[in-house]
Amino acid sequence: MITEFQEKPDEPHSNLASMGIYIFSWKILREALMANADQPNLDFGMHVIPYCHGKGERISAYEFNSYWKDVGTLHSYWEANMELVDIIPEFNLYEEYWKIYTKSQAVPPTYIGRDAYIERTITGEMTEISGKVYGSVIGCNVIIGEGSEVHDSIIMNGSRIGAGCYLNKAIVAEDVIIGDNVRLGGGEDRPNDTRPDIYNNGLVTVGERSEIPDGISVGMNSVVAGVLKKADFPDGGLPSGSTLIRGGDRK
Amino acid sequence: MRAIGMILAGGNSRRIKELTKNRAVAALPIAGNFRSIDFALSSMTNSHIQKVAVFTQYNARSLTEHMSSSKWWNFGRKQGGLTIFTPSVTDDNNLWFRGTADAMYQNLSFLKNSHEPYVIIASGDGIYKIDYAQVLEYHIAKKADITVVVKELPEGFRAERYGCVKMDDHNRIVDFEEKPIIANTHTVSCGIYVLRRRQLIEFIEKCAEEDRHDFVSDILVRYRDVKTVYGYPLESYWSNIASLEDYYRTNMDFLKSEVGNFFMKEYPIVYTKADDLPPAKYNRGSNIKNSLVASGSIVNGTVEDSILFKKVFIGNNCYIRNSIILNDVYIADDSHIENCIVESHSTLKAGYYHKSESGVDVVSEKADRYII
Repeated sequence: MITEFQEKPDEPHSNLASMGIYIFSWKILREALMANADQPNLDFGMHVIPYCHGKGERISAYEFNSYWKDVGTLHSYWEANMELVDIIPEFNLYEEYWKIYTKSQAVPPTYIGRDAYIERTITGEMTEISGKVYGSVIGCNVIIGEGSEVHDSIIMNGSRIGAGCYLNKAIVAEDVIIGDNVRLGGGEDRPNDTRPDIYNNGLVTVGERSEIPDGISVGMNSVVAGVLKKADFPDGGLPSGSTLIRGGDRK
Repeated sequence: MRAIGMILAGGNSRRIKELTKNRAVAALPIAGNFRSIDFALSSMTNSHIQKVAVFTQYNARSLTEHMSSSKWWNFGRKQGGLTIFTPSVTDDNNLWFRGTADAMYQNLSFLKNSHEPYVIIASGDGIYKIDYAQVLEYHIAKKADITVVVKELPEGFRAERYGCVKMDDHNRIVDFEEKPIIANTHTVSCGIYVLRRRQLIEFIEKCAEEDRHDFVSDILVRYRDVKTVYGYPLESYWSNIASLEDYYRTNMDFLKSEVGNFFMKEYPIVYTKADDLPPAKYNRGSNIKNSLVASGSIVNGTVEDSILFKKVFIGNNCYIRNSIILNDVYIADDSHIENCIVESHSTLKAGYYHKSESGVDVVSEKADRYII
């Protein structure tokens, strides 16, 4: 039986966390939803569960003792991905009896080039690796150009990394185009100037459908997004902890 | 589209040896994720053909399994769609398909009940991309009775294994020889034909009356002088899986970027049955050069100039070179495989060594697996 429920408290009274999975008796749920219909941003954890608890409904907990990870922050998202490249990850995708289904984006195999090197990495379909990749998670239909080095990064579907780039702890969202000789990550450890609560732990983030021109370098704890031109980087790059978000998606 | 499609996938090539012991040629795995029939099926769907029949016979199981759902090629539709014909015993017939024309004769109702004026016939073992709509347009413009898609073989390829074609300056076929002893031409038939549906029915009924059963030798070759037969030259990549060497070479062609990109990245794409497999994984100690790696594979060793199909496991300190490792193969630590095709579901024990000194060997090893 649940005796107390706190939503994202500053000082938790327990180390048992809700996984956000609920089963309701329809009557109880219906009543709770109707009673709270006027509540703006009606939220299960914030309003519905506390309401039911306050009314004295019987709320029981199912204790789940297997792998669970919430990827609600940038760092936990990165961490969850990095765990997948462990030799036998706690969460094993290769388990026969519990397949994970997805919309299959593309089918053709990954091509690893003549001068490529790849280890502690997973790659999606149709990806083409010509550079060197270490400890990373690479999506489908990604291209990593010759002479580029990618360390501890996540590159999502459809992104292209040019030649001679260096990426360290980068999260590159979908359909990004990165030019040649671009450097992402590393540098001095300085907190992000706008959202240090999001962009931290040495990560560097590139928003979806962004473009980064040749020869640019961006330090850690930074975020860049949008179709960027050389003129957006008067100093040839951005120091650690920078934020550069331009509107206007690439078509 | 004013044509229906028919794919002849019944063949059983003895020149592919072990690999077709349990599977039809059309079901041979290609380039990591495909099977050879995908190329004909994809060309049909990409040409907006809406009704396709596949004729299958030898070792049909793997092929029918592959085509168990027609949605992968976008044939899941109310009208038309994908039909598979395997020989079946009926009141008035208890024979196998005695040839390609006989296969069509035994299922003549499929042709008779269609309303489309044309038929595209293709074989299930060709690796190519073609817009059949363009071939049909050409067929109509040339006022041909039959149009045969032909390919000029590059230097160094022997034409004797194919249907050899001679054309005049207007691409009319003046000579057609099926697998001659000595070929005096470099132009071969791709096994893709276009003709009017009623014309085909007429040919097939005539064949059956005369107890003839083969489309190529009993129709195409016999009628080549009385009917107008044109060749449609195919400029892009074409390969036919007629022998083990063909099979090996065709797969290895996919490592070349021009071939790989043509089939896997350029529009229109080739479709196949998709499995929900996890991404390919490269552990510490893996070293891969110039290779294709399909999903669900885990690599711990060295792989060079090779193709790893789906769910392949390569152990620590292995050395794989110039080889094709088919689906669900487990290669334990310290193994060495060179110039081989490793058959699906094989399990190679630790320290396994096989290097072919000339040509390519097929390796097939069954053993119990213990996986944590």
